[in-house]
Amino acid sequence: MANRGGPAQRPNPQTQGKICQFKLVLLGESAVGKSSLVLRFVKGQFHEYQESTIGAAFLTQTVCLEDTTVKFEIWDTAGQERYHSLAPMYYRGAQAAIIVYDITNMDSFGRAKVWVKELQRQASPNIVIALAGNKADLANSRAVECEEAQTYADENGLLFMETSAKTAKNVNEIFLAIAKKLPKNEQASGAGSTNQGRRLQELDGSPKAAGNCCK
Amino acid sequence: MSKASTMQKPSMEPRFAGITFFATSHVGDVCGTNGLPLTPNSITIYGRSQILRTFSHPNLCAYLDIIRGKHERTMIVLEYYALSLSSAQCSISEQGIVKLCQQTLQALAYINTFGVVHRCLAPDNILFDSKGNVKLFNYGLYYMTGQGGDVSFPIGNPRYTAPEVFLVDSQTVSGPKVDVWSLGIILAELALGVGQLWPELKLAQLMRKVLSLIHCNSDTSVLSRIAREHSCWTKYESLPKSLVALINSCLQLKPSDRPTPEELLKHPAFLEHDIANLEIHPFERVEGVRGKEHALSSLPLQELFYLWRLAGGDVQAELKKQGLIRTMPTILSVPRLVLLEGNILGKRRDQTSLLDLKIIPLSLDTLALRLSNVPVSAYYPLIETRSEIIQDDDECDAANLPLIIRERDTEYQFRRIVLFRRLLEGYPYTRSAIIREARRDIPPLYRGAVWAALLEVEGDIDAHFIETDKETPTHTDRQIEVDIPRCHQYDELLSSREGHRKFKRVLKAWVETNPQYVYWQGLDSLCAPFIYLNFNNEAKAFACLSAFIPKYLHRFFLKDNSAVIREYLAKFTHIIAFHDPDLSNHLQEIGFIPDLFAIPWFLTMFSHVFPLPKILHLWDQLLLGDASFPLYVGLAILQQHRDALLSSGFNECILLFSDLPEVDIERCLSDSVSLYCCTPRSTTYRQHERVVVKTPSQKNRPHHPDLEMSAQTVAELQAESCPRISGADLLDLLDAVKFPRPKVLVIDVRGPELYNIGSAPGSINIPHTRFDWTAEIPQLPSCPEANTLLQNRGKILVVAGQGDSPQAAQVAQVLLRSGLPRVCILHRGIDVLQLGNLLTKPSST
Ligand SMILES: Nc1nc2c(ncn2[C@@H]2O[C@H](COP(=O)(O)OP(=O)(O)OP(=O)(O)O)[C@@H](O)[C@H]2O)c(=O)[nH]1
Ligand SMILES: [Mg+2]
Repeated sequence: MANRGGPAQRPNPQTQGKICQFKLVLLGESAVGKSSLVLRFVKGQFHEYQESTIGAAFLTQTVCLEDTTVKFEIWDTAGQERYHSLAPMYYRGAQAAIIVYDITNMDSFGRAKVWVKELQRQASPNIVIALAGNKADLANSRAVECEEAQTYADENGLLFMETSAKTAKNVNEIFLAIAKKLPKNEQASGAGSTNQGRRLQELDGSPKAAGNCCK
Repeated sequence: MSKASTMQKPSMEPRFAGITFFATSHVGDVCGTNGLPLTPNSITIYGRSQILRTFSHPNLCAYLDIIRGKHERTMIVLEYYALSLSSAQCSISEQGIVKLCQQTLQALAYINTFGVVHRCLAPDNILFDSKGNVKLFNYGLYYMTGQGGDVSFPIGNPRYTAPEVFLVDSQTVSGPKVDVWSLGIILAELALGVGQLWPELKLAQLMRKVLSLIHCNSDTSVLSRIAREHSCWTKYESLPKSLVALINSCLQLKPSDRPTPEELLKHPAFLEHDIANLEIHPFERVEGVRGKEHALSSLPLQELFYLWRLAGGDVQAELKKQGLIRTMPTILSVPRLVLLEGNILGKRRDQTSLLDLKIIPLSLDTLALRLSNVPVSAYYPLIETRSEIIQDDDECDAANLPLIIRERDTEYQFRRIVLFRRLLEGYPYTRSAIIREARRDIPPLYRGAVWAALLEVEGDIDAHFIETDKETPTHTDRQIEVDIPRCHQYDELLSSREGHRKFKRVLKAWVETNPQYVYWQGLDSLCAPFIYLNFNNEAKAFACLSAFIPKYLHRFFLKDNSAVIREYLAKFTHIIAFHDPDLSNHLQEIGFIPDLFAIPWFLTMFSHVFPLPKILHLWDQLLLGDASFPLYVGLAILQQHRDALLSSGFNECILLFSDLPEVDIERCLSDSVSLYCCTPRSTTYRQHERVVVKTPSQKNRPHHPDLEMSAQTVAELQAESCPRISGADLLDLLDAVKFPRPKVLVIDVRGPELYNIGSAPGSINIPHTRFDWTAEIPQLPSCPEANTLLQNRGKILVVAGQGDSPQAAQVAQVLLRSGLPRVCILHRGIDVLQLGNLLTKPSST
């Protein structure tokens, strides 16, 4: 059970064209499965007793598109409302965000909408936002209808998928969809990975405009 | 060791025994409604049965351990006596029967107060200690299995089972009165002297027989009918009236007519017979058979069992040896067909999983042999009159070995356990001795109690906990409920249902009693070690948590805690800079700031990032330190991965610490202690730290307030790369009597005019103006003083300016950047030394 679905593909040096690096942040109510989605995506694993996240956790994973290799620098944040004040430190400068809710919990969907609003207001204007209705395997205790979420996502221009970290359903797919949608223009500001931390510290710096690619 | 063999071979009667059974396993891969897998029944049993270990009554065999084996197996270790009512081959006097009845009832009444019912009371579960007193055995089986719900076998011996048990469905929970019936049957057997009732009947017939007793009525009592059936009417008629009345009360068919054990204890039969000093039976005394009692017998059973295990005792292996655990190759039990939903067809029934409640005594001979060299005096260590002349450091070979080995060394643990038991008995008067001994190590058996002592948990903690509201729903409940099933769930205790309940109650009690604070994720992790160590004492777990938080995490759980955490992290940054400039410079360079990785470290005092065994060792030391100690633990962890950090960029570093890498805790702790010891306390001053009211003896050094630290804002702290030191600490370090070889060098950055008027003894003058501040990275100017400075590398370098001018901080940063360790800034500048009358005219060199 724990290892169904492998990690996303590693880049193949022969076929790779350019490598793009993107900062992606996961947001959403506590216990909706943010860390589980990341763990599934990065390591192909699922832990029933996934530990709660305090502060934030950082992981990286690479996906291959036809001509580009996309490297995600993923910030998995703590879901508890109280940790909210830390969130800007992580989403500031992010080029992509996955906002996660739990399809068996209506409140978590409400919380997801609040996150969408906050990102639309505060984050980088070109940020690619995906909405993930997680725990799709628990469809028989569903509280949020798929159509409702789809409509909401369409209205707000979000990518949307129902996912399951447990069965791996749509996990790689949602990251891939984000990778496809991200702009991969060469001239974007090339803040390398070593500047990541500093970028996080820039508490009042203006959000980066677009994806940064290096060749 | 060779001496031992010439001595009388140590040998002891077994004092405890093992039994085993299987819990029902869940079919297939089932999940509860919350999507989490169902807790295995053996874990539920494990959690539930812990409370049994606290039962203490003269007529009960104590529960010593519950162990989970493979495939839902549960093993139980209980106090044990070889002699049982079923094995005793002699008749008991009528008075003896009454006494046996009374002691059994007392034991039953005791377990009833915990909501526990025996349900399988039978002669083989009534044991006798060496003085002939009743010791009830296996009384927890029905309770621990959830009234039989978690196991697939029926609980109880049909011969002694109350008729109503057969009449209701298996869901109905039996009350205390079923045991009274069983006792009645046992008494009837004894009184009529017939051995077992209905010996020739098979199981099914027995049940029918018990049910047929329902036809008895007010004219024919159950006892009289039994007497007639067993042709012992004469014996029946000769029995004392009071005994017959007693048995009749037990054998009331309707539970409503039957008394509970508590009620039956008031029966006149117990007054009529003078049984107080009577012995139940004339069995030969077991004592004396093997000569003098072994010194080990003086140990409490829990200690004996703990040491037995250290000496290699393995319950599972013993049960295997005795044929109670047999294994069958898995290949033989592979099912023919498994349906997708998880149903299994065509699986051969595994004979090895059949129930066999045989009792296997566990031999103490190995342990006795292992400890045969220990003199009797070691069982009674002196703790009060311990003189300094008697050196006991070399009392045990293991004393200087690594902690992990000491914890597994039987003799060493024996000595530690005996010593700590005595110290704990004397708490709080023995507090300082406990601290002294805990510095060496804490024996795991008594860790919970030692921690409570170190945290100064005293007073009526039970009453306080009982009074606290742990039930009323609050906003926090959802968060607590989603966090608990993610908190150290690899541990059997903490993942059990009982564990979850305890978590919830203790956390809710904490939130309730701390209205100034709120529940932050992470509190669950903080709670875990205390629940783990005090699983049977929630009040103590709660009291420990309540004492721990103000000591180490004062104000961390404020609704808005950002100032507190930022201050803490800024001090952490300072401490890294103070002790490890190269590491500090590198981490600054790549932007690997503590905010990104260290919040879970400090917010949970590492309990969120380490597994329990490591937390326990870490906190053993943490509890001996003050509120600044955790900063050094954090630094020691970084330093264990120093090479990797120094050679990595931001991403690699943050990845390395996203999943905390392997840390050698023992080394980490000894490093932390050394770091702590060579750091002036004021460098870790925090305005949000709890102010400890000093005891009068510590107050003898009153300082001018300017010599003490005072609050800085987070922005100020972050603007400075090095920590500040207080004037008082500097004066102390400058004390030439205390430190004949100076430990400190003061770098005075004022202009020479001021410096020459008066400065700190031994100080050097490198004026701020001497630096090229226009350079991108300002360097240490080349001058003789700079050479002196470099020669004094390793000393505490106190940069002092005039007042709180930023010049000192700027110079300190340059020193740090050039890789000098132990740089700090004098708080409030050189002027404060005036207060200590310490300014001297520098001798011109
Ligand atoms: N059935 C099911 N359970 C899931 C799924 N994803 C996560 N879970 C479970 O949900 C619980 C919470 O998952 P986490 O990944 O810790 O949630 P989180 O969003 O990171 O929570 P915080 O760190 O508190 O913000 C865990 O017990 C997971 O095992 C899923 O797709 N299906
Ligand atoms: Mg998480």
